[in-house]
Amino acid sequence: MRDLTRLVLTLVAVTVAAAVLLGGVDLITAPAIAARQEEDYRNALEEYFPGLDEYKTEECGEDSFDLVYDAGGELLGVMASASVQGYDDIISYNLALDCEGVVLGLRIVEHSETQGVGDVIEKPEFQDQFVGKSCADPFQIGDDVDTVSGATISTEAMIDSLRRLLDAAAESVLNLEKSEPVDIAAVPDGTYRGSGKGYAGKIEVEVTVKGGKITAIEIGKNEEKITYLAEAAELVRPQIIDGQTLEVEIDTETGATESAAGIIGAVESALKKGLKAGGKK
Amino acid sequence: MIDNVYLSDISRGILKENPIFRLVLGMCPTLAITVLVKNGLGMGLAVIAVLTCSNVVVSSLRRYIPEQVRIPCYIVIIATFVTIIEMVLQAFVPALYDALGVFVPLIVVNCIILGRAEAFAGKQPVLRSLFDGIGSGLGFTLGLLVLSLVREVFGNGTLLAETKMAVQLFGANFEPMRIFAQPAGAFIVLGLLLALTNIVFKRLQID
Repeated sequence: MRDLTRLVLTLVAVTVAAAVLLGGVDLITAPAIAARQEEDYRNALEEYFPGLDEYKTEECGEDSFDLVYDAGGELLGVMASASVQGYDDIISYNLALDCEGVVLGLRIVEHSETQGVGDVIEKPEFQDQFVGKSCADPFQIGDDVDTVSGATISTEAMIDSLRRLLDAAAESVLNLEKSEPVDIAAVPDGTYRGSGKGYAGKIEVEVTVKGGKITAIEIGKNEEKITYLAEAAELVRPQIIDGQTLEVEIDTETGATESAAGIIGAVESALKKGLKAGGKK
Repeated sequence: MIDNVYLSDISRGILKENPIFRLVLGMCPTLAITVLVKNGLGMGLAVIAVLTCSNVVVSSLRRYIPEQVRIPCYIVIIATFVTIIEMVLQAFVPALYDALGVFVPLIVVNCIILGRAEAFAGKQPVLRSLFDGIGSGLGFTLGLLVLSLVREVFGNGTLLAETKMAVQLFGANFEPMRIFAQPAGAFIVLGLLLALTNIVFKRLQID
């Protein structure tokens, strides 16, 4: 019994001593660490927004947005902070946007992706592709943005999260129209490919525009169930072509809703590409 | 060969009982981080610090820690030092923390530290344990440096990459042998180096 008491007491003493020591060190280092992170963040802000005077933080769900103002009180842009599940752990990052919601730069705050593989998210070869993009861009992997092979999970997670954050920033902070309806009449003649996210995966479509009107929508590669897809296409295609609008009724009782939404998204991305291409195919 | 007991404690850790090449302890961080010389060096320095501190503390407490609970006590002591070092690095040496951030917590489970606590510091006086910690730490660092040097040169085509002294060894068209930077390459290089040290040690009859 005495032995047992001694064992317990030793263990307690060791752990208590460890706890006290750690607490003491934390008291000294915590302010230094916080100050350093704050300084890093401030430096990043100044890099993206020269002339920055002060910023106001707005929380919005899990994201936080710092609205950056210059000395005259003019809005310079927004620094958005968000996090996403990567391959190993949570990736937290900042995204600098100007007043129009256009990406100025991406800054990874913390991640624990695999060294030499997933840490490509920190490197310019991955990050530079986003600069100049905005929520008006389709952000479709393989079309206007790319994952990095070997680091597909990390990079795809980043892209998905960026797309969401861009929309959120545009909608809730910058008060931009989230997605302005595409002006079909302005799309030059041609056939454009686009893709959207359906129920099971990506849906690719080919949209033909002639004389400012959508004349045909062909569905290409996809991973949807054929019955649902056929039903969705039957539902969506006439509405788009007859009405020349993407505002279509897609509520169904059969479960083809998400496929239908995917087709609409794909058509939209194709049209946006058409607008951007400015007549080129 | 060496009379001074402290010097022999140091040299034993570097040569005869080199953690990587002779004891084959602490393989997990060894294989994981030796992609670049910079990482190897940083990890080595961190291990020297933790190993020396934990050896000293374990040795000075060796009379008070009952045998039945020694392992949990050692682990708590090691984990405490690792956490302290992590916090201090993060607060005052951010550059090194950024480079090693992921690896520092790994030191807790580095067998070489528990190994030295158990095999040496738990039985020997404080000063000898101190030198044993320095010696084993140096030996571990040396092993990491050799391994990461080979892997960096072949796997990355550089020397001291991501430092101010970075050198691109081969021409711009050189396509590095990526396998050496991958985990599989770590095993291959380690195996070859182990074989090499075995031959050398046999020839010199150090054992």
